[in-house]
Amino acid sequence: MRMKPIRVLIAKPGLDGHDRGALIIAQALRDHGMEVIYTGLRQSAVQIARAAIQEDVDVVGLSSLSGAHKSLFPKVVQALEEQGASDIPVVGGGVIPAEDIPFLEEKGVNKIFTSGSPTDAIALYIKQLLNKETIEAPKRIAHIGIAVESIDTALPFYQHNLSLELEAVEVVESEQVRVAFLRIGETMFELLEPLSDDSPIQSFLTKKGEGVHHIALEVDDLKKRLDQYKEQGVRLIHEQPKQGAHDSQIAFLHPKAANGVLFELCQHGEEE
Amino acid sequence: MNRSSNDQHPKQKWEKDVEKTTERFPERKEAFHTSSDIPVDRLYTPEQMDEDYIEEIGFPGQYPYTRGIQPTMYRSRYWTMRQYAGFGSAEETNERFRYLLKQGQTGLSVAFDLPTQIGYDSDDPMADGEVGKVGVAIDSLKDMEQLFDQIPLDQVSTSMTINAPASILLAMYIAVGEKQGVAPEKLTGTIQNDILKEYIARGTYIYPPKPSMRLITDIFGYCQEHLPKFNTISISGYHIREAGSTAVQEVAFTIANGMAYVDAAIEAGLEVDQFAPRLAFFFNAHNQFFEEAAKFRAARRMWAKIMKEHYGAENPKSWKLRFHTQTGGSTLTAQQPDNNIVRVTLQALAAVMGGTQSLHTNSRDEALALPTEDSARIALRTQQIIANESGVADTIDPLAGSYYVESLTDQIEKEANAYLERIKEFGGAVQAVEEGYMQREIHKAAYDAQKRIESKEDIVVGMNEFKLEEEIHADLLRVDEALEQAQIKKTQEVRSSRDQESVDQCLKALREAAKGTENVIPHIVAAVKVYATVGEIANVLREEFGEYTGM
Repeated sequence: MRMKPIRVLIAKPGLDGHDRGALIIAQALRDHGMEVIYTGLRQSAVQIARAAIQEDVDVVGLSSLSGAHKSLFPKVVQALEEQGASDIPVVGGGVIPAEDIPFLEEKGVNKIFTSGSPTDAIALYIKQLLNKETIEAPKRIAHIGIAVESIDTALPFYQHNLSLELEAVEVVESEQVRVAFLRIGETMFELLEPLSDDSPIQSFLTKKGEGVHHIALEVDDLKKRLDQYKEQGVRLIHEQPKQGAHDSQIAFLHPKAANGVLFELCQHGEEE
Repeated sequence: MNRSSNDQHPKQKWEKDVEKTTERFPERKEAFHTSSDIPVDRLYTPEQMDEDYIEEIGFPGQYPYTRGIQPTMYRSRYWTMRQYAGFGSAEETNERFRYLLKQGQTGLSVAFDLPTQIGYDSDDPMADGEVGKVGVAIDSLKDMEQLFDQIPLDQVSTSMTINAPASILLAMYIAVGEKQGVAPEKLTGTIQNDILKEYIARGTYIYPPKPSMRLITDIFGYCQEHLPKFNTISISGYHIREAGSTAVQEVAFTIANGMAYVDAAIEAGLEVDQFAPRLAFFFNAHNQFFEEAAKFRAARRMWAKIMKEHYGAENPKSWKLRFHTQTGGSTLTAQQPDNNIVRVTLQALAAVMGGTQSLHTNSRDEALALPTEDSARIALRTQQIIANESGVADTIDPLAGSYYVESLTDQIEKEANAYLERIKEFGGAVQAVEEGYMQREIHKAAYDAQKRIESKEDIVVGMNEFKLEEEIHADLLRVDEALEQAQIKKTQEVRSSRDQESVDQCLKALREAAKGTENVIPHIVAAVKVYATVGEIANVLREEFGEYTGM
């Protein structure tokens, strides 16, 4: 862990004079033990980059409510680069339509916090960012789970029509399911057949019928990731990793956290 | 207040005023009734009117104006429905203005982009990325001519949200009027021209406080002579509230600023009763319905007492606090934006209950972007529904006499007066601003409010409670990014086609006036007429007055 307090530069690029948000963020980050420097209004990108370097800050926070963010935020990132300080991450907020966020992230802004973001979430993000604890994107789709009434009935389509190779069939007692693994590229299909009425797959079949049941994402930091998701308020089905098939550790996120999609996180053991 | 024996009873005086007013502005209907045919009286009063009631609450159109500044209020005419609009180019905004007028809006309100508000031309490096974003870009008279194309200036009143360069935009408005054949004395409208709240809350200042105050008193002096029907300032609590103040702070700091302008004008040698009738106010309306309605009533009473008792103004017009209201932008949520229509309705109703003279209702999408035409129309319709369907405008000051509302009115006045005392100790609003007093008070209130929201002590529907899982933001208004280049090109064409010698001469004369004590406004009017730009004029004054660089 860091010993020094995190230093943050809060800056208002451009001509916008609304600094209620900037001042509140500055105060909230101070309350989280950070040292915050506020630039005041009407700063050019170059002035902000210079201030960031002179003040030796760890992160720059930009605020704009005038609609000029698409032009101004990337300029700050660029000015930092030109002055050899591309290691200082930039985050931003204000009145920023969601559609602009991908553009800004592509231009090197680490994260955009839109209107209504709790200040605690912003402080947490900065802490994680600087402690290199930010969550990396999951590495790949580990498998796609498909609920079926009967593996034996379903298999011919996958094996013969799609010509996929059947790797294994396993029984997972804890979930009361039988699972068939079919490799496709670097990922897999899992056909899931319920073994009893207590199986979650059975209740899925009863409610929705056969079909895609879940998507599993491969991660290598399952325990830490669950802790962070929990802190960020992501709804979880499993707050602790549990034993899955193939000697893996798994946990499910709540579908309400992800637009109705059931995601599984899985981490495989060393030998795989 | 001692009434001498030959004074009429205030009720009789009010009745006489009603007679006179209704001759000029007849009431909307012969008689007003509820849906059950119960007659609605013009005014309801207590059966026993004691001295206390007469002195503190009284009658509409009479000192201290707690119940409103006109004797018949909305029975004669509704408030002016004035939607703030402006984006992109002058042509686009002109189109939106004509659309709004066609939809039944009764006054115009111009939003300028930030470069215009801070005195930079569109091709100034400081304007980069900001041209046409939060309002219309105006560089030269050419833009202003297009902005008011086919809008007769003798038939609309125009409010301009412009502060540090107010004199320049006012000069352009005068020049457009002349081109349309409308004499300056016929022009009606308002310039915001309130620099103190820029230092406190809004941030579009240019010059330091002293020369800024001089520009303001120069405008007072010029308008008194040439634009007698124009409101020379709109003393604004709106932005103070948006920056996070409480309702009490909004009233207190706005009135403190108002007193600073009156002091400055008196010091500049103007007569209080000459300029005070042209002072206007601009307040916010937030969600706490009763407190907001009471706030307007308290502000009116405070200002009347201050003008009469403190400044010794004798003209009743000097005592009347006339105000515009805008619903609270910071109360809108980006989440579930349609909910904002309901917030705006509540806020607009509070403003009407408080007796506003004009009203802007925000659009549902303003926490996300500038309003689309659809959203702007719903916002205007909200006012029209309150006016035409709710019946709230059929009797004057219907909340008066509510124990709760009267008590809130008294309490707001008392607490705001305590702030005025503190500000007096600093030596007035200008000093208090320079020492950052009001800024600190507002920030404290804003931070406390944020904490209450995060701890869910305060519930904001759709934001920290009653949330939806997923949200799609439909159509938002986008300002075309190509506009900036087109505007730059247009301004450069104006520069190359005008009579440069005249421009140089006018700017030189302006510089001389700025160095001395002569009123600068006639020189600014002369300069805009020969197509000197906003940036060129503001820069001459920058060189003479210096620039304010914040705390």
